Amino acid sequence: MLRPMLATSLLFSAGLFVAATVTADDISARARKLHFSSIVVDTHDDTTQRFLDGKFDLGARSATGSIDIPRMREGNLGAIFFSIWLPSKITGPEAVHRTLVQIDAVSEQVRRHPKDLILATTAAEIREAQKQGKIAALMGVEGGHMINSDLGVLRSYAALGVRYMTLTHSGNDEWADSSTDKAVHNGLTEFGKDVVREMNRLGVMVDISHVSDKTFYDALEVSKAPLIASHSSCRAICDAPRNMTDQMMKDLAAKGGVVQINYHVGFLSQEFRDAEKANPELNKAIGAEVQKRCGDNEGCQLIEGDRITREYVERGKLPRVDFIKIIEHIDHAVKVAGIEHVGLGSDFDGANMPYGMEDATKLPHITEALLQKGYSEDGVKKILGENTLRVMTEVERVSRESNSQLRK
Amino acid sequence: MRRVLAFFWISSCLCAGFVFARRAAADGIAERARTLHFSSIVLDTHDDTTQRFFSKDFDIGKRNPDGHVDIPRLREGGMNAIFFSIWIDGRIMGPPAVQKALDQIDAVHENVRKYSKDLMFCRTAAEVREAHKQGKIAALIGVEGGHMIGNDIRVLRMFGNLGVRYMTLSHFYNDEWADSSTDKPVHNGLTDFGKDIVREMNRQGIMVDISHVSDKTFYDALEVSKAPLIASHSSCRALCNHVRDMSDDMIKVLAAKGGVIQINYEKSFIDQAYKDASEKQSGGVVAIFDQLKKACGDDQECFGRKMGEQEKQATAEGKLPHVSWERIVDHIDHVVKLVGPDHVGLGSDFDGATMPEGMEDCSKLPKITEALMRKGYGDDDIRKILGGNTLRLMEQVERISKELQARL
Repeated sequence: MLRPMLATSLLFSAGLFVAATVTADDISARARKLHFSSIVVDTHDDTTQRFLDGKFDLGARSATGSIDIPRMREGNLGAIFFSIWLPSKITGPEAVHRTLVQIDAVSEQVRRHPKDLILATTAAEIREAQKQGKIAALMGVEGGHMINSDLGVLRSYAALGVRYMTLTHSGNDEWADSSTDKAVHNGLTEFGKDVVREMNRLGVMVDISHVSDKTFYDALEVSKAPLIASHSSCRAICDAPRNMTDQMMKDLAAKGGVVQINYHVGFLSQEFRDAEKANPELNKAIGAEVQKRCGDNEGCQLIEGDRITREYVERGKLPRVDFIKIIEHIDHAVKVAGIEHVGLGSDFDGANMPYGMEDATKLPHITEALLQKGYSEDGVKKILGENTLRVMTEVERVSRESNSQLRK
Repeated sequence: MRRVLAFFWISSCLCAGFVFARRAAADGIAERARTLHFSSIVLDTHDDTTQRFFSKDFDIGKRNPDGHVDIPRLREGGMNAIFFSIWIDGRIMGPPAVQKALDQIDAVHENVRKYSKDLMFCRTAAEVREAHKQGKIAALIGVEGGHMIGNDIRVLRMFGNLGVRYMTLSHFYNDEWADSSTDKPVHNGLTDFGKDIVREMNRQGIMVDISHVSDKTFYDALEVSKAPLIASHSSCRALCNHVRDMSDDMIKVLAAKGGVIQINYEKSFIDQAYKDASEKQSGGVVAIFDQLKKACGDDQECFGRKMGEQEKQATAEGKLPHVSWERIVDHIDHVVKLVGPDHVGLGSDFDGATMPEGMEDCSKLPKITEALMRKGYGDDDIRKILGGNTLRLMEQVERISKELQARL
């Protein structure tokens, strides 16, 4: 009797403690002021998948998922990269067609909410959106398989506003190895290197999240512009192939790049990762439940996957991960790569969020936690968005330069 | 005897030439026509040159011994605004059609980039005028066939964003939502979805092109469209009874709603005797296309070459009659007599059709201006026909697009 009681009271006080640190009202005035005067950029959100059923309204507060306009406003998320994503198995012209459909879906959301959203393709446009009190909507293509090995298609995506491309998703594509597939290309193929060069010319950021370590190093060598990892965390803290080693982060930083910390619990917490590995049945069960609820609706799958995972955490079957883990990763990356080279790449609406970072409204907690850790206001601003804006500006400069060289 | 005859023949030629030259000098028309032509915006709404961009042997920046269009000849003919046609066989549908269309759109953009001193990509009438001011050739894009959007209105929007400024509702074959003039009707004109496409084109500011479509599709589009229509490359059925041409009634109702018919120079569409002989010889344009397709596959250079060779040989053998370029002027004049000078323009079909004698390529265009002047056309009317009417139509389409977008 005692034991359960003790456990309950411990849980209760833990709950109180957590509540005390994560209630919005409790954000210090200084943190609030800093957060709401900063440009907060998130380089990876899978919300696009939710647009595809035609029912989801980004303008209305949703009871599920992490992103909508009211919640972005509440958390002062000022610039969001909507991810254009298809599973790696979808290739060829079908992938091209479906990619266009998603680019259109983002464009249409922007068109429907002209008071809140504006499509941006440059750092200057993000700053202008901020001035106008609007949220800058940007696009990144998550996976090189979506260009169907065709530079013309890549150029068309760029013309339609795409500003980064992740060289692979979970599977290898035709010209680059993924970190979660068996290597077949030894990194980037010759054509893959041409893709990187063309991205440089077009001003499309080269995103090395998801790619194999060798692909990362190949891209780093070929690219004339700094790279981003749009949604990756630190392998030193959580040993996932999707995360970056300290050495990779140092090399990325040496060329001006930025690692955008991913909030997915499986990339933040070794404990969570180990628990998942120890119970492969759990993942299968979650997968089956997702399939049951969503069928092939990918938007639904991503949202329900997060919800069901949390149900397992609540039942004590998976460890609970607190949002402070995000801060730990940011802090580690800052120590390894420098404060100029870290940003935010939540993976909202596409991953399992930690406690205290359920949605975009919680973002001020990051600012608060970094200030508490002793970060300077200037340093916090960099992490929140200025670092990403700097990379974008640099990528734009490299693009202008290579285009003017071609004209000579 | 033969020598004497030859002498008489030569001297009579010389005299004729002399008389012609004297007449030209005396009335000053040739001079005046050149001045008018080379100070006008000469806009051609249909050129199939895009197909040649995929050949290693073709370079639009150099004078080519074959074909109808390249920058030197555009300059020589004073043609300073050109719609590059995006076209694939109407039997290719779905995602492969989308991908191929995207590749062609990219090819146009890439050629403009490569020759940015001569070419300027334009989306609006104002941009065409600006290109003209800068001494550049305005490059525009039209999609020739509704099958290329993959039965997906979202792809249409993406094409619009990539700069497509008209779409022909069908090509030789019916697509999923519109009947073609050269196929067996299955939709009774436009389906409801086809009508939605027309409405969306209005909203996007993409001109609705009714060349190639069945008469019923034309009347359906005319009823649904809030903006005036164009026939990007069609001639007059009253002078040459071909289904690809427009009846007098169609031209009248097109004009009544502000539209423009752009005269096609294809011999089978402008000359009844040629059309009849060609159908007897090889079964007409669709059959010729099919035979060439079989012989050449996707090799468009082979296609163009063989088409020219076959046609030349048949003409030499007397199987096909000679057709003079003056037939083009007859068609223009017919439209002007029918509906006035505000509803006719030029839609050559260069690089996609067999040209009449005297209109071997775009360098010959000043002849049209001179012929119209000799017919007594005023300078203002000639300018309208050369490009002014199309620019007016574009401006109307742009205005309606803005109005429709503001309403939403």
